[in-house]
Amino acid sequence: MKKMKAISFVAFLSLILVISACSSSDTGSDGGSEDGTTLTIGSWRTEDKASYEKVIEKFNEEYPDINVEFKPSKNTEYNTILNTALQSGEGPDIIHLRPYTPGIELADAGYLEPLDGLEGLDQYPEETLAASKGTDDKQYGVPLNISTTQMFYNKKIFEEVGLEEPKTWEEFMTLNKTLQDEGYTPISLGTKEGWLLSLAHGIIGPAHYGANEFVDNITAGETEFTSDEFKSSIEALDELKQFFPENYEGLGMEDIRTMFFTGDAAMFPLGSWEIEVLREMNPELELGFFPMPSAVGKEPTITTWVDGSYAINANSENKDAAKKFLQFMTTEEFGTMFTEEFKMISAIPGIESDDELVNSLGKAVEEQSTPYMMLVHFAGGNPSTKATIETELQGMYLGERSPEEVANAVQDSAKSWYEPLK
Amino acid sequence: MKPAMHKPLTLKKQRNWKRLTIHLFPIPALIIYGLFIVYPLFAALTYSFFDWKGIVRGEFVGLDNFKDLFTLQPFSDLFWNAFGHNILYFVLQMIFQNGLAFILAYIIYKKVRGSEFLKIAYFLPRLLSVIVVGFLWKLILNPNYGALNVILEKVGLEDLEKAWLGDPDTALISIILVNCWYGLGFGVLIFLAGFQSIPKELFEAGKLDGAAGFAMIRRIVLPLMVPSIMIMTVLTFIQSFEAFELVYAMQGSQGEPYHSTDTLAVYFYRLAFGGSAGGSTTAVGLGSALAVVLFIFISFFTALYLKYMQKKQVDL
Repeated sequence: MKKMKAISFVAFLSLILVISACSSSDTGSDGGSEDGTTLTIGSWRTEDKASYEKVIEKFNEEYPDINVEFKPSKNTEYNTILNTALQSGEGPDIIHLRPYTPGIELADAGYLEPLDGLEGLDQYPEETLAASKGTDDKQYGVPLNISTTQMFYNKKIFEEVGLEEPKTWEEFMTLNKTLQDEGYTPISLGTKEGWLLSLAHGIIGPAHYGANEFVDNITAGETEFTSDEFKSSIEALDELKQFFPENYEGLGMEDIRTMFFTGDAAMFPLGSWEIEVLREMNPELELGFFPMPSAVGKEPTITTWVDGSYAINANSENKDAAKKFLQFMTTEEFGTMFTEEFKMISAIPGIESDDELVNSLGKAVEEQSTPYMMLVHFAGGNPSTKATIETELQGMYLGERSPEEVANAVQDSAKSWYEPLK
Repeated sequence: MKPAMHKPLTLKKQRNWKRLTIHLFPIPALIIYGLFIVYPLFAALTYSFFDWKGIVRGEFVGLDNFKDLFTLQPFSDLFWNAFGHNILYFVLQMIFQNGLAFILAYIIYKKVRGSEFLKIAYFLPRLLSVIVVGFLWKLILNPNYGALNVILEKVGLEDLEKAWLGDPDTALISIILVNCWYGLGFGVLIFLAGFQSIPKELFEAGKLDGAAGFAMIRRIVLPLMVPSIMIMTVLTFIQSFEAFELVYAMQGSQGEPYHSTDTLAVYFYRLAFGGSAGGSTTAVGLGSALAVVLFIFISFFTALYLKYMQKKQVDL
């Protein structure tokens, strides 16, 4: 009896692990209210709830009988919640779609309604629409915002040391040395968290592999990741480690952000979403950015991608109302409101912002953008090519991998699933 | 005398009714057990037999997922890498957590001064949430402003300063030692209860027979502590092969740096749910296969161990 008890206790404990293999929950979409239709919006942006309510208010000025509810769930759990709901034929009417591969997977699985003939779609550039275009070439999402990664810098430190935004790669390297001689950490980057590394490669890489031309070639299958162009982009990242903070292998996101906003470090290679955080942490910080100057004689680049799109649930009972809402999201009125309220770059071209930094970033996006290649084109595969480059770069910074081995591993990973490279 | 005739009958009926109804009470618990434990177990098992395209179930592929898990790169390398880490997790926890807990519990049992205070002090970390523990130790182990490196510098041991969680040689060991610190009090508690259940007369009898010091521990304490040691070993075994929370709290779901802190559960999480930021792809089939393998492995070895120890207990 005692033995039985002990064994069943043990079995119980080990079973607990397996529970996590399957969780179920639903974000229900209920029918209409008494005087019209009720739309639900699912999203991972819990922090934007108040801003979305203002957007909905504006929408209701035109469509007073469509009741819209913004129901976000936690960022890290959104995919699981949404996927489970969609599988059981439920889910919100309007879906905040992850960009590129994960979103397109949903479209290909038939969970989304194609947006054929939605007015306003034609204003977006092709690469913006690609974030939510199915493999059947139909458009499934209205792009919401553009994220960018670039080198941020502390204007005060640059002034003090007498530096200007670099125009060439050589200038950039000299600038790093000057900062180091003056006792500053030039680049605030840690290698403890892998995602920071693919992000950093997204900023610095294009300066070496030759930005859009290489992207066009590799997506056409005309070149490889083992090419000299790509290898040099990895070597450049390796070379830059002399300008990283002390003990960079143990530093994560919080650490490097703190080093930058406290003025210990002069530059910070990160994404546009950090602007608000940095300002909140240190309102005194004079924040600037510069496009990465090319090492191979091309134009400087800002690295961009679509961060999210809005799509319609194929199982929704209120598709017409949902289309009206998506239509509203393509208007200039919405775009202006979005940049003001959310302090992000609207995917709608030509929207001005009253925030100087956001505004000039938006301009740079229109003139000098290159895609965040690993996210836009190589987020597929298992483990994804993007995850592969993250781990491999980490290995390189720990001295376990040479830049050449990194390039080889990226090529192997991409070759395993990416059609043009097969 | 109608009522008198009637009474015993009702009593009997009542007793029968009671006997029947008593079987109804476990039903709510059984439903919950079935729904949240038995069903997911079989669901995971069936998932592992199918091909998955993202979240859409594809065709039946039999044991292909299991085959891929062990033969296809990089999955098999990652599996054995994580498996090795789990074994290290178990070994170090047995030595540093349970070994130390045994000694400390013995000291407390011998009633040194302040033993009551010590008992509470050792147990205190256990009251914190794992996430809090992970966060605190992340601060302590921070390479540039963390307490550990600062102390090392102050006492003149700069050479030992390290990026503890960033260096693949020290990252996993650091996490395991934090886990030992966290679990120490629980071990002390279990062992102390074990010591206290040993009848005092046995010690006296031992003394009379001339046993002292180590011989006393070897001949009297150890055999009688087998049940406590057994339960701690089993719990540590299960816990170290399911190690997830602390690794996740301190290093995230990628087993960083460079897979040096990957455990099977973290690897499973990454396969089944696609990493931390929600952007990457998932492999539900492979993840389920891994969960099944892990479940079979843990239950098999635990059962084996329990059987062995029970025999041992009788022998001793």
